[in-house]
Amino acid sequence: MDCALFPPLASIDAARPVFMIVMGVFLMVIAWRMARETTGWSARLLVGGAFLLCIGYAILIPMYEAGKIERYFPGAHLHSPSTALGWHAVKLVVMNAGWLVFGLGLRLHAGLFRSIAPRKITKAQTITIHESAA
Amino acid sequence: MNLLLESIVANGLIFDAFGVIGLGLLALAALRLVKNDHSWGGSMMGYGAVALLVARLYILLAPHFVTNDFLAAIGPVGISLTMALPPILLTFGLAGVVWGLWGHEKWLKERY
Repeated sequence: MDCALFPPLASIDAARPVFMIVMGVFLMVIAWRMARETTGWSARLLVGGAFLLCIGYAILIPMYEAGKIERYFPGAHLHSPSTALGWHAVKLVVMNAGWLVFGLGLRLHAGLFRSIAPRKITKAQTITIHESAA
Repeated sequence: MNLLLESIVANGLIFDAFGVIGLGLLALAALRLVKNDHSWGGSMMGYGAVALLVARLYILLAPHFVTNDFLAAIGPVGISLTMALPPILLTFGLAGVVWGLWGHEKWLKERY
């Protein structure tokens, strides 16, 4: 492996990508542990979202930071424009769909759009207490 | 260019909107967890999601309002803040979400 292309893992420059890798993997592991004991759509969506985010944070972003993938933006002079565009599309889909699916999973888990408790119907007081005028 | 690739890149804004909606849902769900279940992980997850949301919105909106006049108005401290804050928010936001999810998982294990 060419060491000049990969920054040493303990250097200051590598701190953020390594942090991202650790966080991505940790997110995936925690989501899997949460989903292991539950079934249904909330667990599936949580694991699916965490998996996409894990790919994004643990593979794509460190590869961008290491310079393995060229950063695409309109008007950029790129060595290989089609490859950069392809990776850009992958990043766009993986990161955004990851957060969306993860958010939907947690929404189902927390029961966001479910009402907390059936609202009690309070009866209007029909009998009024009159003080005697005497 | 491949039609699928072209449509994905051309509709980048829609995908970014998906990401923002997902983070918003995450923040609201975390708030719900704190309110109903008193889960301490939920609050950390909420802070993380809000930090990620702010940074992402700034990155999406910055090309539209950050001009030379704007940079001259905020001065050197402001300029260094605009460069330093988004990566800090993105990094600590992710940490907050992961820490919060871990805390919530632990809390679920203790409760059930």
